[in-house]
Amino acid sequence: MLSRVADSLYWMSRYMERSDGILRMLKINYASSQEDLTDEFSWKPVLKIFTYMTEEEADGIALHSRKVLQHMVTNRENQNSVYNVVTMARENARSVQDHISKELWQCLNEFYHLMREGWVEEALENGDPVNVLDVLIKQCLLYYGTADITMARGEGNIFMNIGKLLERGIQTATIVDTKFSRQNIQEITAEPADLRYLLLSLSGYSLYLRTFRSGFEARNVVDLVVLNKQFPRSVSYSVHKMQFNFERFYTQRANIDSYNTVSFMMGRIKSKVQYSTAETIIQQGLHSYLQEVITSLNEIGVALEKHYFAYF
Amino acid sequence: MPINDLLQKYVPDANTWDEMYENNSVRNQYSDVMDFFQQLGTEELNKKEEQAKRLFMSQGITFTVYSSGEGIEKIFPFDLIPRIITASEWAFIESGIKQRLQALNLFLKDVYNEQFIIKDGVVPIDMVYSCPHFLREMIRFPVPYDIYVHIAGIDLIRDHDGSIYILEDNLRTPSGVSYMLENREITKRLFPDLLPNNGVQSVLDYPDILHKNLVLLSPRKISNPTIVLLTPGIYNSAYFEHTTLARLMGVELVEGRDLVVDNHKVYMKTTNGLQQVDVIYRRVDDEFIDPLVFNKNSMLGVAGIMSAYRKGNVALVNAPGNGVSDDKAIYTFVPAMIKYYLNQEPILKNVPTYQLSNPDEKQYVFSNIERMVVKKTNESGGYGMLMGHTATEEERIKYMAEIQKDPRQFIAQPIINLSSAPCYMNGKLQPRRVDLRPFALCGPQGIQIVPGGLTRVALREGSLVVNSSQGGGSKDTWVLAE
Repeated sequence: MLSRVADSLYWMSRYMERSDGILRMLKINYASSQEDLTDEFSWKPVLKIFTYMTEEEADGIALHSRKVLQHMVTNRENQNSVYNVVTMARENARSVQDHISKELWQCLNEFYHLMREGWVEEALENGDPVNVLDVLIKQCLLYYGTADITMARGEGNIFMNIGKLLERGIQTATIVDTKFSRQNIQEITAEPADLRYLLLSLSGYSLYLRTFRSGFEARNVVDLVVLNKQFPRSVSYSVHKMQFNFERFYTQRANIDSYNTVSFMMGRIKSKVQYSTAETIIQQGLHSYLQEVITSLNEIGVALEKHYFAYF
Repeated sequence: MPINDLLQKYVPDANTWDEMYENNSVRNQYSDVMDFFQQLGTEELNKKEEQAKRLFMSQGITFTVYSSGEGIEKIFPFDLIPRIITASEWAFIESGIKQRLQALNLFLKDVYNEQFIIKDGVVPIDMVYSCPHFLREMIRFPVPYDIYVHIAGIDLIRDHDGSIYILEDNLRTPSGVSYMLENREITKRLFPDLLPNNGVQSVLDYPDILHKNLVLLSPRKISNPTIVLLTPGIYNSAYFEHTTLARLMGVELVEGRDLVVDNHKVYMKTTNGLQQVDVIYRRVDDEFIDPLVFNKNSMLGVAGIMSAYRKGNVALVNAPGNGVSDDKAIYTFVPAMIKYYLNQEPILKNVPTYQLSNPDEKQYVFSNIERMVVKKTNESGGYGMLMGHTATEEERIKYMAEIQKDPRQFIAQPIINLSSAPCYMNGKLQPRRVDLRPFALCGPQGIQIVPGGLTRVALREGSLVVNSSQGGGSKDTWVLAE
């Protein structure tokens, strides 16, 4: 596969994972913002994770849900708005149309045109914001399903999976880190409501209820979203599956040095997460632990660029 | 059947051949289809028109116009009513194009080798050497199978008396074939059973024939040669076509930056190291293909690709240097070439053409300029031309001054009254001028032309310019089986 093509597939997939993550997170935080009676809810953590706003700009709109949604969904100036992220996913797909199924291309193309229709902006301004988010989330689900059903299980699919899982690992770690306001776990005195919304935004709420029956505790939440291998949005699941996908390049003998380098990095982060427990994370400190995970994942991204995608 | 006013209000221009209408009655080949459209009625047709637009948009059959930093997706306008060609007329066109291509390939071989045609005084030497597309880099290079033109798009028009003329030959990187294929796909979806009921010949073979020809050209005689389509990239207006053809043939779509030349061999950079490339169907113009040989500022080409080509390590399709044969001044000599090389009478006629480098002809053109089209010899896409009958006095004077500077770069032709075809526009059937571009493929096993082509439409009323860059549209083009 051409390096340029692999690069585009990987980024198409990362951008789609990102737009899905942003949309889910917005939906749950919107619900949370509407139930807030004590004036404690603020969009600031969200704005800090997902945008490049300065402290003052974020403060300016942090209490206005519609403004935040507009900024995060349709604002063309915001590099990380769903509008721009979907556009970038589609531009990447456009340059590799002959490597993705026609269905997948149409799915992305229709999502792109949907984002440009006036009603999205109109509904965020005056209508029901949850409906807008639901429609857009459905487009993401359609993308996942189409990719799963129509893409051949070849190299291109592997790069798409790696991109998706890398992005997901980084997102989950970042959301947890920011939600706990960069505290260390033993100091956490989070409200049960906050923990519930964290789980909801990662679609881990019902799994948590089935796994832990003793109510909401920060320690258990960390256990689930970082370490649980059955939870498809956990850090552990993401790094495991990412490595599993990458292992298939073992047969590419011509590029064995690149394989060894990246495989080593992936194995290291996988082992790090696999041989962690809630206790060891507490010992190290949650913030420092998550930062280490995020740094390792970013380094893997850089190594992939260097060893597999470089074509200049 | 109720008489629908769809047809009643249709009035072709006087003194113009209409593809559908003749003496106030519908031509045979159109009668079934027009019955069908009449029964459908305007309301239904409006819906179909809307549906067609949506299909083009959602499938991304678009080109992007970049303005103020943001891309705007445009579709190439599609007209619902097909253009129909009878089997016998197609047989005539097909034989004419085959003959012409045979002669043009022989001309290219000759002009880059022995130059008999120049020595025998059939084509003047200065005509050849003054053409900017004549590449000295191609001289005495034995092109595989003596094929220079692998893919040709020949533009045909019809005058008021119904006779067919060659308007121009496109022998470098002709485009538009994806619209031939996609327009047909749209018809299949808009009008179920209409195609089989009318006995329309399929155009689906095109990518297969092209792919087979490309495989045969591989310099390495291996079972599975690497074939790539070289595109200038996603910002090129024909990008959709490049990706469609790559997908339909199952070949890799590459950009210049994906390729590298080492030891006179071309490789593409893959995730598993370098992989040798055998055949390149390039959609990058000669000028940009190799910065070491041609335009040194080109970012679209590959450094060293010409040396790999001349060493015979890679095949280029079409061959570089073809521009000397589709130059608009050389065009005048094609009928003479057919006689010279094949000893045959030309089947398809040329439009009479005046060389402005000839003082007598220039004088004639200048005194009759309001009845002439003047074109630059090396431009295409409808750029840089003067339509004598619509230009203002001022434009004409300015253009004539331009001609005086370098008359070799211009030719003139009497204005041909292109034939019209019915188009469904704004809820009415209206006559619009059309041309026809069939696509011919020359491979080691001969010349093949899929029965069909691109019918381009001048969307503005009375306009004679059909180029898409000048606001043209297109139609599905049917060739009937009998």
